[in-house]
Amino acid sequence: MSVQSQPQSQEPILDVRSVSKRFGGVEALKDVSMSLYPGEVVALAGDNGAGKSTLIKTISGVHGADGGEIRFAGEAVHFASPEAARAHGIETIYQDLALADNLSIGANIFLGREPMKRVLGFIPVLDRPAMAKAAKETMARLDFHVNRLDAPVGRFSGGQRQAVAIGRAIYWNARVLIMDEPTAALGVPEQRKVVSLIQNLKAQGRAIIFISHNLQDIFAVADRIVVLRRGTLAGERKISETNPDEIVKLMVGG
Amino acid sequence: MKKVAKALAALAVGVSVLAGTVAAQAQDKKFTIALIPGLTTDGFYITMRRGAEAAAKAVGAELVFQGAPEFNPVLQVPVLDAIIARKPDAILIAPTDKVQLVEPLKKAHAAGIPVITVDTFIGTGNYQTGAGDADFPLSYIASDNVLGGRMAARALAKAIGEKGKVYVSNVKPGISTTDQREEGFKAEMKNFPGIEVLETQFNDNDSNKAASQMQSVFARNSDLAGVFGANLFSALGAANGVQQAGQTGKVRVVAFDAPPSIVDNLKTGLVDIAIAQHPAEIGFFGVMSAFAHLTGQSIPTAIGTGFTVMDKDNVAKPEIAQFIYTD
Amino acid sequence: MSAHTSTESRADPTQSRSRQLIVRIAALRAWLFLALLLIFFETWSRVSYGQTFLFSSYNAQSIAIFAVAPLLLALGSTFVIISGGIDLSVGFIMGLAAVIAAHATNLAGQSLPPFAAMLVGITAGLVVALGPGFVNGVLISKLKVPPFIGTLGMFGVARGVAFLLAGGTTVPVSNSWFAALGNGRVFGFPIIVIITVLFVLLMHYVLSQTRFGQHTYAIGANEQAAIRSGINVPRHIRRLYLLSALCAGLGGVLYAARFTAGAAQAGEPLLLDSIAAVVIGGASLFGGSGTILGTVAGALVIAVIQYGLVFINVEPFWQFVAVGVVIIISVLVDQTQRKLGGDRQ
Repeated sequence: MSVQSQPQSQEPILDVRSVSKRFGGVEALKDVSMSLYPGEVVALAGDNGAGKSTLIKTISGVHGADGGEIRFAGEAVHFASPEAARAHGIETIYQDLALADNLSIGANIFLGREPMKRVLGFIPVLDRPAMAKAAKETMARLDFHVNRLDAPVGRFSGGQRQAVAIGRAIYWNARVLIMDEPTAALGVPEQRKVVSLIQNLKAQGRAIIFISHNLQDIFAVADRIVVLRRGTLAGERKISETNPDEIVKLMVGG
Repeated sequence: MKKVAKALAALAVGVSVLAGTVAAQAQDKKFTIALIPGLTTDGFYITMRRGAEAAAKAVGAELVFQGAPEFNPVLQVPVLDAIIARKPDAILIAPTDKVQLVEPLKKAHAAGIPVITVDTFIGTGNYQTGAGDADFPLSYIASDNVLGGRMAARALAKAIGEKGKVYVSNVKPGISTTDQREEGFKAEMKNFPGIEVLETQFNDNDSNKAASQMQSVFARNSDLAGVFGANLFSALGAANGVQQAGQTGKVRVVAFDAPPSIVDNLKTGLVDIAIAQHPAEIGFFGVMSAFAHLTGQSIPTAIGTGFTVMDKDNVAKPEIAQFIYTD
Repeated sequence: MSAHTSTESRADPTQSRSRQLIVRIAALRAWLFLALLLIFFETWSRVSYGQTFLFSSYNAQSIAIFAVAPLLLALGSTFVIISGGIDLSVGFIMGLAAVIAAHATNLAGQSLPPFAAMLVGITAGLVVALGPGFVNGVLISKLKVPPFIGTLGMFGVARGVAFLLAGGTTVPVSNSWFAALGNGRVFGFPIIVIITVLFVLLMHYVLSQTRFGQHTYAIGANEQAAIRSGINVPRHIRRLYLLSALCAGLGGVLYAARFTAGAAQAGEPLLLDSIAAVVIGGASLFGGSGTILGTVAGALVIAVIQYGLVFINVEPFWQFVAVGVVIIISVLVDQTQRKLGGDRQ
């Protein structure tokens, strides 16, 4: 019954099969399945408390699943931590972006994995030129050009900061990007910029899960939409075969 | 002169105590006298205890020594309360605050326990005047700090040949004892027309700052001849400043107080002169005064004890070394 | 993140040259303060006394020696404050280290030659100083005690232990090597100043050129970001408080060497001066910003004010006023540059 926007022949990069998750007596996810193909954007929609957050946290290794399985590139995986998920190429970009505002783009991209070089042959120092170069190249791939690579990211706009967070993910070869409300805190021109970033990533063959309340954005960028309601899969539609009214009906039920 | 009067008073106590000893033996009562120091771990107070114990032994009284590990009224008051509960025959105390200890000590007074303050005082330090609410202690027994300041001035004047510039390195204004030392020092220096006393430098009990101040004063006054450190940290700081300036032996340093470490400082020439208080004497007179009062004698309301001037040459002599505080 | 919703106001960091200039100046404010102070004292000294203030090596050395102890405390505090924490226990850790170094040097001196005894004393002082630093780190990182409270508690513990070990008095050291370390000179430079300069260079390297330093900034700006980047934040915080204690320990050891005595209250008056040095140096008490070189300038500003006002014979209480005014101006400059979207690092 799964609808797909990509050729059937291709393997899904991510395959979530009948996953369940309980918190005490609360069943946050019941038997939810979804799949994601390379170069595909899947929007995850649903009301507050529908289970969107729980689902992405289960995929990204924050929570372990209580039932079902998650397959990544054809293999069953169990992520004990977000680091384990990241090591497989699953990056999550949270709403607050998790950037250190006082550091440069390069320093943010490499935060926790900074490249080092040696001066005078024995003193290890941060390789800032390498970080700046990688920052410049990575941001260029997102069609985002900065002059001052040493400026702290706190001085950039919301959309630019979003690009930095995405840049960090793609620099580390993320194959699956999970984006939590990437447009929520932005003005309209910035929202458009983020939508075009996502299209850019899609063109690079990366798979994207995109959580949003904004149906306009969803219809602008997603290939497919998965709707959750009270922890269950309420429905799944190709964007080309549905309309906002239908999605709202799926979200609220009835 | 005031100090002569005090010395006579001290003598009077000693004489009356002798008489009292006889009386006590006749009564066959063993008095318990409590001594509450400012803090228990300081050599000054440990030495005071030694003197108090000697006196207690001489008159056949029992001495109880109890106090807090730090100089702090919050810690001292509970100790005082516990002592009051044990109902000693007299309390000797070095109050850690001249205001905050008034009410707690009133409890002792109300319970009929005579109170004598040693080293420090409550209220104004003028007792039995019938004025104010802190005049109830019978006596204040301490070093005469004004006299100590004068002795420091005389010793320093002699060391520098009665000419040149000097200044006082002090802790901060408002501390009764160090204020009095400075006052005595400045007053005595007026007798030496060849000596100019510069502005006092306050160091907040920070020897680092005291050293820097000395260096700065010297930078402006290359004819600086001496420094009087009104307490140990002021003196050690100033002495280090002299050392850093390469003026050891040229700029003379007078220190107040004589902990065991002063011997080394005198020998190495870091400090030229030390003014030792006589804490053992304070303790001795404290117990003697309490005993005299308990045996029906009248005692003076203030007793000032003396000082010993120490330098490199005399510090090894037993009659001088005995005034170094106990470790 | 609501601050970032308005996009127009901060669209391009390169847009305004003058704004950038202001930001650059703000970042160097501690050095500017220092320059202004030196010009002031130099002018006063020449006009009133006809002598130089600044170009006297005696004055320069006196100020440098004066700045050593507060600066050493401030170096560790720079790291802690950048990470968004505070360490109130450094003053008494310094006192503790001074007392331990004095005792250990004396004790070792009974069986070892003076040089070896000095080494034992130095090592003992530094190692014991790490104890309270370790406990601070565990309290803050594992037990989630706020740094202010945890280090305030350690302030009391270190103070009590130091007073008990010192027996309420100073502990004299008699060791010629140790005294030479504290008061000797090499090529005319005081040894404690040379040691401090080397230590400053090391700390500058660690903060500006290593992952450790980079992660310190990241934790101060956004602890969640640091955690999600895979930085072991609790471990990092434990190391920060160890580093802070080590700096205080070095301060204590050099104090004991200089005054040939360990004193429990040695560092007590230095705590506020050291934090003031960090703040004047450009660090924010909210974390995320600050530099070692700024802190050096901050410590020199305080030392120059205090030394200079004695030099020109100003009423001593003005020293407090002057230092207070510099702190307030410094914080105001910081606020202003933040509003301008300044470079905070």
